[in-house]
Amino acid sequence: MLPLSLLNAAQNKPMLVELKNGETCNGHLINCDNFMNITLRDVYQTNSDGDRFWKLKECYIRGSTIKYLRIPDTLLDAVKEEQVRAREVGRSTRGTGPGNRGGRGAPMRGRGGRGGPMRGGRGRGRGVQ
Amino acid sequence: MSSLQGYVDRRVLLILQDGRAIVGVMAGFDQKSNVVLSDSKERVYSMEDGVEEIPLGLYLVKGDMIILIGELDETLDQAVDLASIRAEPIPPIRY
Repeated sequence: MLPLSLLNAAQNKPMLVELKNGETCNGHLINCDNFMNITLRDVYQTNSDGDRFWKLKECYIRGSTIKYLRIPDTLLDAVKEEQVRAREVGRSTRGTGPGNRGGRGAPMRGRGGRGGPMRGGRGRGRGVQ
Repeated sequence: MSSLQGYVDRRVLLILQDGRAIVGVMAGFDQKSNVVLSDSKERVYSMEDGVEEIPLGLYLVKGDMIILIGELDETLDQAVDLASIRAEPIPPIRY
């Protein structure tokens, strides 16, 4: 499982974020991106000694300043189940019916693309001669 | 290519730049060595008391912070009585 897919699934969930300078932010995840930049709402921020506190309505944290995130335990199972479900849906829709050749996997041979003469006898040409 | 794939679903020890030692089951990782640990615990070493294990739960550690990842031999690890171990904590890296 990718760390970022876990983080994406953590939207609206509470979390603790520790920054590289030792400060921590407790809040609910509003949003995140692929750099792990995040926005939190209803945040309690503490300094690195843990003796001073600030309350913030909302804050933005640059991903590169994060040391780690602590996420609710239940999220791991939720994401795992979601992945299993997504895989099953993919299996049932893919590879059936017409117009669904190829899909994922090996590239198709002989049609489109550059280079190389056509292989095999079929393909272009004039039809019946 | 070096990869963390072999550590997935294994119990591992992470050592961070701030000197923390965290054990947990590696649930996932990515290109940047960001790591997901489930059922993780911090091990706090000290000379006065034995090793203290602090449960942390599900953790997402940024790759930037990670110094070392190693697989734990679980049987060997369980045979160790952490409470009897006295050790200096690892100091944080200072620049």
